[in-house]
Amino acid sequence: MRKVLQIALSVLVASSLAYGSEQFSMSDADRALYEELLDNNPADMMLASGSEHLDALGGTASLAKYLEQSKDSLASYLAGFPRYIDKYKSVVSIDQMLQAFMHDSGKKPYALKSSDMFDISSYVKSIANEQPINIDINANEHMKKAYALGKEVFNTRRGGRGLSCYNCHNPGVVGRILRTQPLPDISAKGNASAATWPAYRMTKSNLATLQKRFQGCMENALLAVIPLGSKEMTALEVYFTHEAKGAPIAIPGLKR
Amino acid sequence: MKRSLTLSLLLGMSVFAADYSSVIEVPDAAKIIQKDLLPPLGVNKMPTECITTDSKAIARGAYIFHNLNGENAKGNAPEGLSKTVENGKPKQYGNCVACHNIEGAVGGGNIGPDLTNYTEVFVKTGVRDAQYVYAKIADPRVDNPHTDMTVNLTTKLFNEKEICELASYVLSKK
Ligand code: HEC
Ligand code: HEC
Repeated sequence: MRKVLQIALSVLVASSLAYGSEQFSMSDADRALYEELLDNNPADMMLASGSEHLDALGGTASLAKYLEQSKDSLASYLAGFPRYIDKYKSVVSIDQMLQAFMHDSGKKPYALKSSDMFDISSYVKSIANEQPINIDINANEHMKKAYALGKEVFNTRRGGRGLSCYNCHNPGVVGRILRTQPLPDISAKGNASAATWPAYRMTKSNLATLQKRFQGCMENALLAVIPLGSKEMTALEVYFTHEAKGAPIAIPGLKR
Repeated sequence: MKRSLTLSLLLGMSVFAADYSSVIEVPDAAKIIQKDLLPPLGVNKMPTECITTDSKAIARGAYIFHNLNGENAKGNAPEGLSKTVENGKPKQYGNCVACHNIEGAVGGGNIGPDLTNYTEVFVKTGVRDAQYVYAKIADPRVDNPHTDMTVNLTTKLFNEKEICELASYVLSKK
């Protein structure tokens, strides 16, 4: 897992050399901190607290049982989210599945945007660490539709500046500089977004999920921010996750 | 008889099949997106007396070009330009420098072309004219439906006067 992050770092350093240090977003001090945090990701603490939340629900064993998985198949099953679950009649992300799990265990579900939910859902995704992402967008009509919707949301120009996600995340602009920040390759080997979120964000000093990161870009680029868990958000997650299909999950990531 | 049997079966099912719609949060986003969509490209004809050498207008154009919004902009805004809008929120600026290099750019990006020495390079060579610059800033889809550039007039982020000030700045001698 650390290895994956190191590759990500070396890609960053390489691009900084290519574009000249003045334009690069990380100062030397930031980069030193980044390297230090690689071995000591502050988000490990949040995942530890997420693990305690799961223990209160019976731990990994009861989650596996709830999802009708064996101890051995759980990790690979978790590496396939978002997925359609017949019982819920919808395509859900891990956090939404956990809301149902908590409810069915007689507990009040955490709100999607609560830090408790960030902790437990990040921990649960980390159970799938090192598993390649195995989302199946052709599993059924619901997944097909979710993927198509995600792609549409990704490509839709909107907001105060009339931009879509695609405008800044297309193959033509990867690595170009947007005001000192290299535009990331969201499906790059070793750093594919869906495999490296939830992540610790150094600039925000917090643990953020993929959907939360989507909200960050919406806010920065003046697109109206859409709520966590909405069909469109889950669809965007499906889209991003498919882009990272096959990439080994490495949670928590570490991001600028 | 048969009918009521089916009905009671259905009823039974809905009693046993848990309804997760009140358990799993799925807030609505469709309306938010619908309201936020980019209108189609219109005709953006440059107003008369748009391009100016008035230093105050050019200063406003420069400030809009180099800054993201009134909250993070350093120094006083030039005369005639506010840092906030009516509701007190920070006014959004162009942040053009995020994608373009130009004279005096700090941390200029390279997603769009370098606009340094624009009049010499692009206008005097006959490649571009003022009307193009105005229309491109107003709505860059004018010559590229898939442009990665921001849309500034169609989105109502800026008005015609502000687009003229931006164009005047790009065309000015620096
Ligand atoms: C105006 C440009 C722009 C737009 C529009 C934009 N992004 Fe981004 N995005 C960026 C930049 C720049 C970064 C890297 C920032 C950093 O280093 O923190 C980024 C990073 C990301 C990341 C994190 C990548 C990673 O794994 O580290 C995700 C996920 C993302 N964007 C999703 C989206 C989505 C979804 C949308 C549309 C709703 C969107 N972006 C729209 C510029 C943009
Ligand atoms: C997110 C990136 C981005 C931002 C922000 C941006 N531009 Fe651009 N701009 C581009 C790209 C890319 C092009 C190249 C043409 C195209 O793809 O449509 C361009 C082209 C131009 C051109 C035409 C250059 C020529 O070929 O003669 C002008 C003028 C221009 N931009 C001015 C501006 C101004 C003024 C602003 C701010 C209000 C701005 N741009 C903001 C990306 C951007």
